[in-house]
Amino acid sequence: MNGRIVRALLKKDFALFMSNRFYLLITIVAVVFYVGIYFILPSDVDERLSLAMYAPVLPPAFSQLTTQDAAEIELFESEEALKEAVLDGDYQAAIALPADIMEVWLAGGKPQITVYYSAMAPPEISAAIVALVKELAYIETGQALNFDTTEEVLGPDMLGDQIALRDRMRPLLAIFILLIEILTLASLIMVEIEQGTARALLVTSMRVSDLFIAKGILGVGLALGQAAFFMALVGGFSHQPLIILTTLIIGSLMVVGIGFLVASFSRDVMSVTGWGMLILIILAIPGFGTAIPGLLSDWTKVIPSYYLTDTVSRVANYGAGWGDIGTNLAILAGFTALVFWAGIMVLRRRYQ
Amino acid sequence: MADKSIIVKDLTYRYGKLLAVDHIDFDVDVGEILGLLGPNGAGKTTAVKMLTGQIRPQEGKAILLGHDVVKETEKVQSQIGVCFEQTNLYEQMSALDNLKLFAELFGMKDFDGYALLKRVGLEGRERDKVANYSKGMKQRLMVARSLVNLPQIIFLDEPTAGLDPVSSEAIGNIILEERDRGATIFLTTHDMWEADKLCDRVAFMDQGKLAALDTPRNLKQQYGKRSLIAEVAAGDKLEKREIDMDVDSTALEVEKLFEKEKVVTLHSEEATLEDIFIKVTGRRLTE
Repeated sequence: MNGRIVRALLKKDFALFMSNRFYLLITIVAVVFYVGIYFILPSDVDERLSLAMYAPVLPPAFSQLTTQDAAEIELFESEEALKEAVLDGDYQAAIALPADIMEVWLAGGKPQITVYYSAMAPPEISAAIVALVKELAYIETGQALNFDTTEEVLGPDMLGDQIALRDRMRPLLAIFILLIEILTLASLIMVEIEQGTARALLVTSMRVSDLFIAKGILGVGLALGQAAFFMALVGGFSHQPLIILTTLIIGSLMVVGIGFLVASFSRDVMSVTGWGMLILIILAIPGFGTAIPGLLSDWTKVIPSYYLTDTVSRVANYGAGWGDIGTNLAILAGFTALVFWAGIMVLRRRYQ
Repeated sequence: MADKSIIVKDLTYRYGKLLAVDHIDFDVDVGEILGLLGPNGAGKTTAVKMLTGQIRPQEGKAILLGHDVVKETEKVQSQIGVCFEQTNLYEQMSALDNLKLFAELFGMKDFDGYALLKRVGLEGRERDKVANYSKGMKQRLMVARSLVNLPQIIFLDEPTAGLDPVSSEAIGNIILEERDRGATIFLTTHDMWEADKLCDRVAFMDQGKLAALDTPRNLKQQYGKRSLIAEVAAGDKLEKREIDMDVDSTALEVEKLFEKEKVVTLHSEEATLEDIFIKVTGRRLTE
C-alpha cells in the first residue's frame, strides 16, 4: 500500500462525494429520516390488556369482561381462530375455556383453562390473567374456586423481555443506514468506470490495490460514520458500546464488499441502483424479524445480515455480552471476508 | 539499446477470434515523434493499451525505457504520460484539482498546476469545473494531465480528433515542445496532415499489422509521385496540365508549357500520406 496514493485517492473520492448532490442528499436524508422515525415511534410499552377468548359455554360473569376498561376482549368461535389471532399479533393473550367449565366447578372439580400468549406479551400478563379468571369464578359461584391453567406461547418467547417498539426498530434502522451505502459506493465506482477515469488512474504509478484500499476506507467511513452517529443519537451505545461498534465495523466492511460486487456486475449507474435496491431489500429482511418478533421464521438466518441485526438487537436491547454473540460475529465476519474477497476479485477484472 | 525509448517485438493481442494486433515489431528512438496511422479498428488503441500496461500482450513483448512493460509495469507507468482518445476527466472537479490529483499520484513535489494550465492555454479557467469546459478545452486539459509527471514517453491517442484548428494547433505546438524537451512522443492518429506535420516517422497500421514504417519524406519518395500542376487559358475556360517532377525531362516540359500556352497558375503537388496509405494498404485512412 502506498499511503501517499491512498490519501490522494481518498481526498478525490471525498471531494466527488461531496460535490454530488444526490449522494450527499441521500446520506443526510437517510440519517435524519431514520433518527426521526426512531423518535416518532412509541417509547413506552402498551400495558392495556388485549385479550381474546374462546368459550363454548360462556359463564354469565365472564361476559362482564367486555365492559372492563383495562382489558379489550373479543370472543372467538373456535380455538383455532383464537390461536391464529394471537399469532397474527392481534392479541397479547387469549383464554380458551373448556365446554364443561361450569359443570366441573359445580362438581367441585378444577377445570383446565388454556392460556395462549403472544411472543410480545408483557411478563405480568400471566399473573393478571390468572387473577382475572379467579375473580370471575368468584363472581360466578360466590366462592373461590380452583382451576388449572395450561400456558402456551405462540411464536418466540419474549415474556419478560418486552421492549419498546422504537428500540426494537433500532437495529432495522441502523442496518438501513449501513446498507444505503452499498448504493453510494457502487455508484461512485461505476461512475469512474463509465467515465473512464479509472483507466486514467491505472496508467499512473498507482496499484489496483491502492484503489481498493481507498474505496474501502471511504465506504467503511461513510457507512460506519452514519450508523454510529445514528446509534449514538438513539442511545444504541448504552450497553456494551465496544460490541456494537465492532458489529457496525464488520457490517460496514460487508457493505463495502457488497458495493464492490454490485459495481462489478452492473452495466451502468441505473443498473447499480436496480441491483443495489434488490440486495438492500433482501439484506433488510432480518431487521424486520428483529423489530417484530414472530414475524419471520428461522429461514432468515440464511441471510447474512441476520447476524448483524440480531447482534445489535441482543446487545443494545437485552444487554448481551461477547459470549452471547460470539457465534453471530464469527458468522458475520466470515461472510464479510468472503464477500470482500469476491468483490475485489471481480471488480479487479472489471477495472483491468 | 540505450537510445531506444520503445522496443516492440512480436506484439500480439486477440479479442476472442479477432486478431486486433498481429505480431508487430518496431522501435522508437529517444526524442522521436512516431505517428501510428490507421483507420478506426486498425488496432492502434489496442497497441497503445499494451504499451502503457493497461492490457497484457498475449504474445511478444514491449520494452519501454529499458523496462519490460509486463514485468515492470509500475516503473514504466511512472515515466510515461497517456492522453486517451475518449475524454476521461473528473468533470465535477476543477482543472487544477484534476492536475493536482495526478501530480499527487505520481509523487510530484512542487508541482505548478497554474504553469501547466497556462502552457495549454487554460489560464484564467483553472478553478472552473471541467464539466463547464468546451471539448477543445477538455482535450487540452487531457494533454496537460499527460505531462504532469514530466514523462519520458508520451502516448497521445487521437489528441486532436474533432477539435477546432486553434486547439489542434495548440496541441501540435505542445507536442513539438515536449519533443524538444527530450521526450519521446507516440502519436496515434488518423489525421494525415497532423502526422505529416509533426512526426519524424510514421507507421501505417491496418488490420492489426504494420504495413509500412518510415519518415513521411521517404514514404512519399517511395510510394508517391511529385508533379507540377498548371492552369492554362483555353478560350474562356481554364484547363489543367500536369508535369511529372521525378523524370529527367521535367525542365524541358516546363519550358515547353510556357512557350506554347498561357499559364495562369503553377504549383507543385506531392502525394499525401493518405494517398500513400491507400497505395500500401488498398484502404482509406478514414474508412
